[in-house]
Amino acid sequence: MTDYGHDLLFGAFVTPTAQPVHHAVDLAVTADRAGLDLVTFQDHPYQPRFHDTWTLLSYAAARTERIHLSGNVLNLPLRQPAVLARSAASLDLLSGGRFELGIGAGGFWDAIEAMGGRRLSPGQAVDALEEAIHVIREVWAADRPGGIRVDGTYYRVQGAKRGPAPAHDVKVWIGAYKPRMLRLTGRVADGWLPTLQYLSGGPADLTAMNAHIDEGAVAAGRDPAGVRRLLNIGGRFATNGRALLDGPPEQWAEDLAGLALEYGVSAFILAADDPATLELFAAEVAPATRELVAEERARASR
Amino acid sequence: MSGNYGHRLEFGTFITPVNASPETPVALARRAEALGYDLVTFPDDPDQPAHLDAWTLLSWVAGRTDRIHLAANVLTAPLRSPAVIARSAASLDLLSGGRLQLALGTGDRVAAGSAGASGLDAVEAVGGPRLDPRTAVDALDESIDVVRAVLDAGDPTPVRYLGDHHRLAGASRGPLPAHHIPIWLGGSDPRLLRLVGTKADGWLATSGPDDLGTANKIIDEAARAAGRDPAEIRRLLNVSGRFSATRQGFLHGPAADWVEDLLPLVVEHGIGTIVLMTDDGATLERFAREVAPALREAVDRALPAPLPRTARRTASVRAKRRPGIAYDEVPASLADGAVEPGDIAYAHVKSTYLRGGAPGLVLRPRDPAEVADALAFARAHRHLPLGVRSGGHGISGRSTNDGGLVISLARMNEIRVLDEATRRVRIGPGARWMDVAAALAPYGWALTSGDYGGVGVGGLATAGGVGWLARKHGLTIDHLRAVELVLADGTQVRASDTENPDLFWAVRGAGANFGIVTAFEFEVDEVGPVGWAQFALDASRPTDLLTRWGAAVEAAPRDLTSAILMGPPRPGQPPVAQVMAMVDSDDPATIVAQLQPVADIAPGYDQSVVITSYASVMANASDAPHQAQGEPISRTGLLAHLTPEFAEAAARLLASGVVYFFHIRSIGGAVTDVDPDAMAWSHRGANFHVTAFGRHRGRLDALWDDLLGPHLRGTYLSFETDLRPERVGEAFPPRTLARLRTLKRRYDPDCLFRDNFAIAPEPTPEPSARTTP
Ligand SMILES: Cc1cc2nc3c(=O)[nH]c(=O)nc-3n(C[C@H](O)[C@H](O)[C@H](O)COP(=O)(O)OP(=O)(O)OC[C@H]3O[C@@H](n4cnc5c(N)ncnc54)[C@H](O)[C@@H]3O)c2cc1C
Repeated sequence: MTDYGHDLLFGAFVTPTAQPVHHAVDLAVTADRAGLDLVTFQDHPYQPRFHDTWTLLSYAAARTERIHLSGNVLNLPLRQPAVLARSAASLDLLSGGRFELGIGAGGFWDAIEAMGGRRLSPGQAVDALEEAIHVIREVWAADRPGGIRVDGTYYRVQGAKRGPAPAHDVKVWIGAYKPRMLRLTGRVADGWLPTLQYLSGGPADLTAMNAHIDEGAVAAGRDPAGVRRLLNIGGRFATNGRALLDGPPEQWAEDLAGLALEYGVSAFILAADDPATLELFAAEVAPATRELVAEERARASR
Repeated sequence: MSGNYGHRLEFGTFITPVNASPETPVALARRAEALGYDLVTFPDDPDQPAHLDAWTLLSWVAGRTDRIHLAANVLTAPLRSPAVIARSAASLDLLSGGRLQLALGTGDRVAAGSAGASGLDAVEAVGGPRLDPRTAVDALDESIDVVRAVLDAGDPTPVRYLGDHHRLAGASRGPLPAHHIPIWLGGSDPRLLRLVGTKADGWLATSGPDDLGTANKIIDEAARAAGRDPAEIRRLLNVSGRFSATRQGFLHGPAADWVEDLLPLVVEHGIGTIVLMTDDGATLERFAREVAPALREAVDRALPAPLPRTARRTASVRAKRRPGIAYDEVPASLADGAVEPGDIAYAHVKSTYLRGGAPGLVLRPRDPAEVADALAFARAHRHLPLGVRSGGHGISGRSTNDGGLVISLARMNEIRVLDEATRRVRIGPGARWMDVAAALAPYGWALTSGDYGGVGVGGLATAGGVGWLARKHGLTIDHLRAVELVLADGTQVRASDTENPDLFWAVRGAGANFGIVTAFEFEVDEVGPVGWAQFALDASRPTDLLTRWGAAVEAAPRDLTSAILMGPPRPGQPPVAQVMAMVDSDDPATIVAQLQPVADIAPGYDQSVVITSYASVMANASDAPHQAQGEPISRTGLLAHLTPEFAEAAARLLASGVVYFFHIRSIGGAVTDVDPDAMAWSHRGANFHVTAFGRHRGRLDALWDDLLGPHLRGTYLSFETDLRPERVGEAFPPRTLARLRTLKRRYDPDCLFRDNFAIAPEPTPEPSARTTP
């Protein structure tokens, strides 16, 4: 049993499809009105069927009011970290503190190279991500003295000015699966953002992965509870329960409460591209899950 | 002196994107839009922590504005991957509805106001490449190639590019933006100016008037050397100034002096866009109200001919024009929205849902006055085919063509409740039936239309409308209370039982022959949740199946409306028929009781019955643009009863393999309550409507005429593609046709409207007296 004690967040994982043009924006508006905490889009800059995720995030932020937005996760290799940092701070300022930075080391290296990006080995990509996060945090640290100097192997910043600082403490969430990335997550990130369907052993895999993150955090002198565990989920609403996240909303709530209490997951991001599913998730699953988890936490602390 | 290049004169703003109060630049941009500026721009300095990131801000502002165009001033290209710039540009252009212009620079000399060390040092300091003024322009040159290649979504081959600065190893192209995104370059280095001449669509300058002549000369020479017309390149100029009571200097004085200062820039130096650099709302407003209109007038007075009011099309676009169309005489109200073969939007408008097309010009009016303008243009092109398009689902209606004109009403798609008490709703022709259903659902209302949500209101509500509630609530046109239309001569009229009643009679069944309907007023029905059933039934005995289905449907209460769908024999697979039915009731017991006899007509493979809303049954079409190829081949007709003889003939038709889609819908019920003379749709006795689609015109016609023809009683024209003259007589019985021909002579004697069951006007008694307009 692991529970890092975070408040629960519920979000949407929406396909950033370019046709119909406003499909993803409309779903973000639906998620916002339905009361979800977060709307996220995947980022595959080499995929012309999708919108550019940064543009979409900014446009959707302008169309929504209270929901937070994040890439799920942003593809680092085709973006300059300092530009990304300033863009992120800008979006956070424009949206009144509603942006979070979900980021990944990148995959699909053939496609990245085809777009003019640099091919890295998986190991190099982990190091590059660490450097980039360092650059980003330096840019955001607007009131530290002096210019930014990062003399990295992959990214060099030579005396650039600091700032702007974002409107709120923008969280850095990393999409990670392998031990090195997980330890990096523990070392430098504010959150971990994997996708349940990529875990070959199902939720049970989370235990070992959490341990790597905790280990990375402890080694860096951090409290493992400082790293929120988020999870992309998929499922189906059905009258009769059949399997994990395949059944009526009450069953979903129990499934999610189980994931929260057993594996410390505190944010559930549902992959869905229709308004009805998102509305049901927000109206029925989220409150019921919160209630179950609150009850169990209260019982545990007695 | 380079003179004027003949572009529409535009006005823009340059706003400092301060991040200390991010709402300020956003509010200024919205203010600029409200004041009628054409363009809003923000600088993108490579290392300026007091500013918002330009791209993020542009995307945000796109979400908060509707009309104004957007550009960076200018985007620092070396800090971004050109392929990502291209995809981001396409996205922002799509999301904003075609409002993005792409202005790029090297970062070397950013727009005035940037402080500090050389821009290229700043590019490097933030993590960009080390460039000198020469390599920076080379890299920008390559960036343009890459951006253009990625945006060229029509080309299926991946982008391969081997430059010194950028290399692409097979990137896919797209997405296709909403409009042709022009590429403007900012800067004053002669190398950059030559690049403008060879490759760009515009030059964004910040220099004083003295340098403009030299710069224009470099650009023009480079353009000519590259075989381009220098006039294709728009010149934009960032200017700043102050209003004051008396003249103090250049752009520092009263509004009239500003006009005087700006006039030579436009007339002699060919500036096409003046971009006002200001963060002061009062200056922004004064310029818009006092300088811009006066400058326009002064320019038109000073030039030999007034400047165009519409966007200019490039030589490559004009090269794709079709013969016989006076493209340069398109009415000003329609010019910007018009789409011609070289335009980027053409791929999305040339074809319809079932028909491939290659029209020479698509006009897209937004209101009845613009429809009248479009019709005036069409009258001047009577020698070309004219298609009238609403939702683009025409089968009989040729709403696209080859080399002719199309008037598309897609933008006139408003749905508005006029009166809740009488359930009176006003709908534009461009609305789709799924949108209508969704808009009525919150009121607990529905309007029976058809079975496909993508079908447009304009085509269906002028022809009939056989929908899922037909037996309970009649045809769509039975709910029509008034229409507004523009006649062939451009007159705007209203028709109802009391105003132009003969026209109102004709529009309901033969509307396509009489004008362009610009608004429909319906009285809709109260419709709660409905039962919705889909059955897959054994069709190995098709004669029996059809006869029994017909009998079950005729015996059913009016709540139930059904359709049956069959296909050609499939080797090695059992024949299956799909039966669909809607029951207008939310009571499960009633629904089951009414469906049971239909379900029992044959052994079933699969079934689904749900209680749902009319709107969700109709929400079955995608928003994707229509891209059909070729011509649909269909036949259709009406039947009183589904007799065993008809069923036998239908079974033989299906067995022939010539038909790939065979469909019978139930009508009858409430449809029969209406007097056959009440409107032009007069086959009130029919209980069934049968349609077949095939792949060979001749084979389908031969079998259909032979096998089904003898059983049919008239036709519903919407599904017919056979052009032989007998079909008109089947659609309209003699008395109806005679009256329609009299009206055709009155309202459209020259047959401007002829894309859908053209009715020949009754001959005029004295042909010699006839005048042609
Ligand atoms: C998939 C599909 C399903 C269908 N299902 C049904 C159904 O269930 N029931 C049914 O009744 N019909 C049905 N139809 C037929 C449909 O009603 C007609 O094809 C109709 O013309 C389509 O209207 P539209 O506006 O989408 O077509 P368009 O292609 O835009 O127009 C077709 C024709 O209508 C005329 N027209 C269009 N707009 C106007 C206007 N504003 N004023 C005057 N004339 C105009 C023109 O002659 C034009 O050529 C279906 C068609 C398709 C393709």
